[in-house]
Amino acid sequence: MVTRRMMLASPLILSTSAFGKTKAPENAYLYIIWPTDGSHIKGAFWCRFGLRGMGVTHAGDTTANTGHHHLLIDVDEPLEPNVPIPSDKKHLHFGAGQTEARIDLPPGPHTLQLVLGDADHIPFDPPVVSKKLHIIVS
Amino acid sequence: MEDITRRLAAIVIADIVGYSRLMSADERGTHQRVQRLLRELIEPTIAEHRGRLVKQHGDGFLSMFDSPVEAVRCAIVIQQSMVSRNLELPNEQAIRFRIGVNLGDVIVEADDIYGEGVNVAARLEQLAEPGYIYISGGIYEQVRYKLVCGFQSLGDRRVKNISDPVPTYRVLPDPTSVNNATTGRKKLWYGLAAAGVTSFGIAFATGSFWHPGWLSSAITAVAPPPSVAPKPLAVTDKPVSPPDKPVPPPDGDRPAAADHVLEAAVIPVRPQIEPPPVASPPVKPVAPPTVAAAITEPDMVPIPGGHFLMGSNGDLSEQPIHGVTVRPFLLAKYPITVRQWQDCTRAKACVYLPKGDDDAPVTNVSWDDAHQFITWLSQATHRPYRLPTEAEWEYAARGGTETRYWWGNTMKPGFAVCKGCGNAMTPTKVGIGPPNPFGLYDMSGGVAEWVEDCWVKDYRGAPTDGSARRSATCEEHVLRGGSWNNDQDDIRSASRDYYNASVRYPTHGIRVARSP
Repeated sequence: MVTRRMMLASPLILSTSAFGKTKAPENAYLYIIWPTDGSHIKGAFWCRFGLRGMGVTHAGDTTANTGHHHLLIDVDEPLEPNVPIPSDKKHLHFGAGQTEARIDLPPGPHTLQLVLGDADHIPFDPPVVSKKLHIIVS
Repeated sequence: MEDITRRLAAIVIADIVGYSRLMSADERGTHQRVQRLLRELIEPTIAEHRGRLVKQHGDGFLSMFDSPVEAVRCAIVIQQSMVSRNLELPNEQAIRFRIGVNLGDVIVEADDIYGEGVNVAARLEQLAEPGYIYISGGIYEQVRYKLVCGFQSLGDRRVKNISDPVPTYRVLPDPTSVNNATTGRKKLWYGLAAAGVTSFGIAFATGSFWHPGWLSSAITAVAPPPSVAPKPLAVTDKPVSPPDKPVPPPDGDRPAAADHVLEAAVIPVRPQIEPPPVASPPVKPVAPPTVAAAITEPDMVPIPGGHFLMGSNGDLSEQPIHGVTVRPFLLAKYPITVRQWQDCTRAKACVYLPKGDDDAPVTNVSWDDAHQFITWLSQATHRPYRLPTEAEWEYAARGGTETRYWWGNTMKPGFAVCKGCGNAMTPTKVGIGPPNPFGLYDMSGGVAEWVEDCWVKDYRGAPTDGSARRSATCEEHVLRGGSWNNDQDDIRSASRDYYNASVRYPTHGIRVARSP
């Protein structure tokens, strides 16, 4: 953990967030509109993202109180607060400001969770994170 | 009946700068010196390189060679030898050649050769500065990987009475020899010979082969970077070369060609002081504005064409495994570095201001940024750089292997930088692990590399001819190789990732390609 923080607290990270997190309003609320917790789903589905108290923008935009969505699929590791949200098959980025996504998962139980990232894909302070949903895909 | 013999030949034309001035100052002495030069240097050197002296005239000669490599070597030997000979002469007696070399079809007669190939060589010779060799694109393509020296692109030059512009290159000594010139006099051309061009037939006299035209510009050169660095149009026949840096061009007093140089490929000499951190205005180059310098052009590795099985069963996105035929192409040996990107930023052709060490791979670039870079690089060098296609990338990454990684099926310490490789860290330089079978570095891990293709979730319907997958509505493009912040599974040769084309992310970088 220490290693990773050292690694990512490098000059690579934009100045806006290299030494501090971007503030989010206390009333910001991130949630998954659909599917709902406990859903049984057949095949691919549209996952829809909801945000209150803040605005959705594209990555790179430093306008106050705006961010962009990241959908975490089957991620169990705790969120690291000061580093860019990883980008891989379990961390989907929506840097163009998308508010929904077509998700195609293999059959079985899965979890879904949204995290709002700032201009540099780093979680806000306090973190704007949705409840983690459990779904079953068949 | 007329019997015309045509053949392809490398033509070397040289003439003596200021011959009439030399003659008017000392007709008899000049004639004797030139005759002696021909007898002692020119004729034996041409013979040594298996060329033919077609004809000689008062102020120069015309020769032809079967081999472009031998032709250029011969020209280099002559120029080197002239430098040492002139050191012994008072300046007003110094004899300096301009040399042009071209590859072309010629009509051969008993005592002369004719044709456009000869005319182009003559024009190149006229463009060249005293003491220099200019070669055409045709020659360059033949010799670039076979000679230890630098080639500075001067762009496409229009030459008199020739309809098409001629891609023109200035032959430079090995760039590393220029580094040392910072400390004073330097045996520049000598350094070139010592660096490994072994077939030079001339035994060099001891003493300095310093070419006065080189030094003043070489003084502005900066110390070489500590590690692997981009090469300025330099080629070598050794797989690993000493650190390089931009080759400063010859200094100011050049013929009218100088203007063209500036509008052609080259840009100002790299500043001695690196640009301050982001968001500051670009640093003014140290070099005088009239002095152009070589772009730190990427070191390109020729990738032979071939057929391979693309994809794997490792992930749904990598299926179905399908056969792809890839044509020969060139791929950069390393990802583009911060230093190379800064040339584009400085030219105001790239919006993105990179951060990190000069020799680190550039990061946090979007696919759109990457296209700005390759557009600029192509214009600046007059060479069609592009992103590799996804098929080309995987073919190159595999280097003929079918395993998870090019070195096998399991991670090996020190072979890649990734989360879970035991060394997750922001790369501070390129060329970290060993090269793959094609001689490419950092294909696995490090920075994820943009390719041209539009992202499609699997390979159903993917092209099999090595071309890029495109789509009219394409917002996401493919990234390959995984990054320092990915798991081992995401840095396999077949692993695929994607991202929005306009969005920057800290682990994304680029590697450039071009067709031969």
